[in-house]
Amino acid sequence: MKELCWYFPSSMDEVSTLLKKRGVIPYGGGTGILKTGLNRVEGLIDLSCLPIHFFRRDNNDRYNGSSYGRIEIGATQTFAEVTEQLGQGHILGCALGKSASTPLRNRITVGGSMALFPAWSDLMGPLIALEAEVTLAGEQQGTYPITHYLTERGLRKQTLITGISFPDTTWSFQYFRHTRTHFDYPAFTISLLLKKDGEKVSDLRVVVVGCSGKYKRLHQVEESLIGRLGEEIESISVSRIPFTGKKFMSSEYLEHCAQVELERRLLALLKGEIFHG
Amino acid sequence: MDGEFIVNGERLKVSFRPAATLLDILRREGHTEVKEGCREGQCGSCVILLKGRLVNSCQVLAASAMGKEITTVKGLGSLHAPHPIQTAFVEAGAVQCGFCTPGMILASYSLLKKNQNPDEEEIRKALDGNLCRCTGYVKIVDAIKLAARRMRTDE
Repeated sequence: MKELCWYFPSSMDEVSTLLKKRGVIPYGGGTGILKTGLNRVEGLIDLSCLPIHFFRRDNNDRYNGSSYGRIEIGATQTFAEVTEQLGQGHILGCALGKSASTPLRNRITVGGSMALFPAWSDLMGPLIALEAEVTLAGEQQGTYPITHYLTERGLRKQTLITGISFPDTTWSFQYFRHTRTHFDYPAFTISLLLKKDGEKVSDLRVVVVGCSGKYKRLHQVEESLIGRLGEEIESISVSRIPFTGKKFMSSEYLEHCAQVELERRLLALLKGEIFHG
Repeated sequence: MDGEFIVNGERLKVSFRPAATLLDILRREGHTEVKEGCREGQCGSCVILLKGRLVNSCQVLAASAMGKEITTVKGLGSLHAPHPIQTAFVEAGAVQCGFCTPGMILASYSLLKKNQNPDEEEIRKALDGNLCRCTGYVKIVDAIKLAARRMRTDE
């Protein structure tokens, strides 16, 4: 078996050249790579010397004419670092603070977790709900909406995620992870973001991760509730969210749990209750 | 490949295979206080401090840690000059078979460095990556509370 080659680039130009080599992939925290195995890997690009380890929060930097700034997070920021920066009062800080375990949160990086997007991801639900953008270097250099990045597989070819960004604005939120025990991979997660104008729902984002197709944003539910008075909403009709059965949970069970939890969390959020379970 | 690490303040020059983990290298070089458990990042037996951060050494490829500072439990204290956390573990009866103890002590150290007065929930959260199959965690939590009190008051 051929020995692995390590590369230690210090510039993005070097990385772009290295990404063109066959079997060469980026190495950030390394937890995902060790899980998927090194059998097909011929080389690893160490990302630690690149300028992609940053957290920027600039509320004066108005974006696209909007009235708020952006939060920018470099790809090699770990889950622990993001949680420390954002705190539990932000859906992303809250979600990443619950992911995996303390020593793993100190290694798992935002970029690596996004590139691999495991079904149990605690990262992707909040980012999809926040309508984040992904910045890439290499063959497909540019900044793309996260859903575009997820659907266009060509964007992953010979590219490196260098960072993510999303609007720095205040949301009420609920984040739910369906687990059997505290230290468990979630079977699915629910990310809910809400803004109210007085008592009226002015913006709502509903995302389920872990279902068939990895994630689903429930636009229909969002549209049915925007403009209504939060306190007056007594029931919510959520259409079927398809799941693939897992080892210990059937698809029917997961569908039922997701539907019940979604209705429960959404009603609670609309009534002003906070739940970060 | 050849690389240098700083383990418990001392330079360690070693040759290793590119796919070797930090756990492989540390144990091979005599740091058997870093225990080999699941090799999947689940049990916490192999945790070390890498640049001051608690990590599973089985989940870190050694090449990515070259030149960086590594602390094992032996870097905190010794038999004759134990760290207050080590003393507290003994006095609170938090050690049974002892296999998880190096990891538990490093996880406790990592917590107390940031938070000198953690409550029970914060302690349990800080230990969420460390499994113990003997104690049921009650004595371990007691030990951390005891260590925290002593470290705060310099008892």
